[in-house]
Amino acid sequence: MEFACCWHKELLSPGECPYLGPGEEDLLLNRRKRFLRRCLECPRFLEDLRALDEADPLAGLFPWAMEELRELRVQLQTQTSQLETRNREIRFLHEVSLVLQTSVDMDEVIALALTAVTAGKGFGLNRAFLLLVDKERQNLKGYFAVGPRRPEEAEVIWREIEEHDYTLRELAQLFLEQKMPSEREKFKDLLETLSVPLSRSDHLFVRTLNDQASRHVLDLYREPDIDPAQVHTLGVREMILVPLISKNRRIGLLLADNVINQRPIAAENLHSLKTFALPVSFAIERATLYERLQEELVKLTEANRRLKEQQELIVRMEKMALVGRITSNIAHSIRNPLTIIGGFARTLIKSTPPDDGKRQYIESIVREARRLEEILQEVLNYSESLHPTLDLWDINNLLTGVVGSLHEDLAIAETDCRLRLDPGLPQVRLDYKKMSYCFRSILTNSLEAMGRGGRLEVRSERHGDQLQVIITDNGPGMNQEMIREITAPFFSTKEKGSGLGLSLCARILEGHGADFEIQSAEGIGTTFIIRLGIPN
Amino acid sequence: MARLLVVDDERDIRHLYAAELEDEGYEVETAGTGAAAAALLQEKEFDLVVLDIQMKGESGLQVLQKIVQEKERLPVILCTAFSCYKEDFSSWLADAYVVKSSDLSELKSEIRRLLEKTK
Repeated sequence: MEFACCWHKELLSPGECPYLGPGEEDLLLNRRKRFLRRCLECPRFLEDLRALDEADPLAGLFPWAMEELRELRVQLQTQTSQLETRNREIRFLHEVSLVLQTSVDMDEVIALALTAVTAGKGFGLNRAFLLLVDKERQNLKGYFAVGPRRPEEAEVIWREIEEHDYTLRELAQLFLEQKMPSEREKFKDLLETLSVPLSRSDHLFVRTLNDQASRHVLDLYREPDIDPAQVHTLGVREMILVPLISKNRRIGLLLADNVINQRPIAAENLHSLKTFALPVSFAIERATLYERLQEELVKLTEANRRLKEQQELIVRMEKMALVGRITSNIAHSIRNPLTIIGGFARTLIKSTPPDDGKRQYIESIVREARRLEEILQEVLNYSESLHPTLDLWDINNLLTGVVGSLHEDLAIAETDCRLRLDPGLPQVRLDYKKMSYCFRSILTNSLEAMGRGGRLEVRSERHGDQLQVIITDNGPGMNQEMIREITAPFFSTKEKGSGLGLSLCARILEGHGADFEIQSAEGIGTTFIIRLGIPN
Repeated sequence: MARLLVVDDERDIRHLYAAELEDEGYEVETAGTGAAAAALLQEKEFDLVVLDIQMKGESGLQVLQKIVQEKERLPVILCTAFSCYKEDFSSWLADAYVVKSSDLSELKSEIRRLLEKTK
């Protein structure tokens, strides 16, 4: 019998089978392989089978088996391709989940989620919107959108992505760093239109969220439960809606469409997006919680700081109260003996002629008793500085008086002291005696710090609704630590005195409700600023 | 010659004030308690009282109230180791207020001023 085909030959020479092409030379030599790959689908082989059918009935069964085989092969191919798609999808979801799991930054989470929906390497949809539940305002709020607004823009974006082979992660990062703010601005109007109050449970968006079931809408224009303005703004027929739910809590809604290329959205896409929505929901919820946690942390840190300040203040005030009690006791038990010692010494001195050898001893007693009394007065003033006796006074008058009383000291130290007083200042409420003491202390402090030939300036002026006195010296200056210390009780860099001067000043000014500021630069000088409120 | 009464529970203070004020040309009597002062005030006429506040027994402020009630025009100088008595209302009844010091010039000038006034 003559066969139309070459299936019965063991070996073939090139060109003998028209269905073999270049690169398939191995099939020329392998009959089994050739038969399974080519002959079973070869029309000539079928012809031969049909011819054989008449001679051998077994040959008639062959085409059935072949048909079955072909069908199985097609099925296998489809399944393989499906499997590949699934594999790709799992890999993609894995990659996205990894990033989502590690991120607590809201912007980063959103950038990645929406890039994944729109990137070719992800779901490849044209545009994606994210609506988030705003619990406080009971609103489903248009939060963010990604994608081109016009076809031209789409081309630019797609070309850019094609030119660089970015991974999904890189794309999301790029988006986060470069495009996030502009994208937010780009879709602002659209996002505002898409916001819906949660109370509108009949609205397509809210309903989808409440039902916790995704929707594939084929024609938005025929959807009754969405505002016409929203349909118009979206400008697209087909759209998928995927609710974002985390442990039954409503997080938001993801919308996606192919507004530019108008390609139909595949059912698998919706399915995968549903799977994808889970880690996204978790990540968004976590990021929101983290944001709130951060805010709370800032508040807590601030509260802690304030608490610490208050505690320090209480400790300081307790110290003050103690100082007050101690000084009152000291005053009473020391003042009387001091008065007696010093007083009698003064009495004695009057009856002692200048050439008497004892006179210098008596003078020492008088001087030292006087010094002790001064220290005692300083300590007493300190404990009394809490309640000033206030009255209206002219600050310039007070300053002139204080500087005048220091005339001798200024002359001895050869200090260049300038008064720059604004004559048009209103009167201020103050305790004249205490405030005089205060300015005197500051000036004395500056004088002692500067040594010989220093320059001192006393200025008074209006400062908004306050009156300010600025005392500037060109002494050695102080660092922050020293400033803090000199305004604390019992500190002095001087060897003389009890070191209450400036801390007493601070107390007196505090009692007057005045601001006291010390600005100092080492090697340049110190400026004391006192601001008193001007009475109405 | 003006007659002064010095009231202080501290003996040496009384001596010091008496010596110094007598040197200034005043006639000075002293009392160590509020009761003794009251008795002296009943007994004799004075032109001015120098009064310590913190005393054992009757305090200077109590004595002051009595003086004000009984001898309205008698000037009183409060004299104390505590300057914070200024804030006690009853101390406002006094004509002057001097913090104790070994330097008696402030006390002396207050005495002069008040005696000038009542002349």
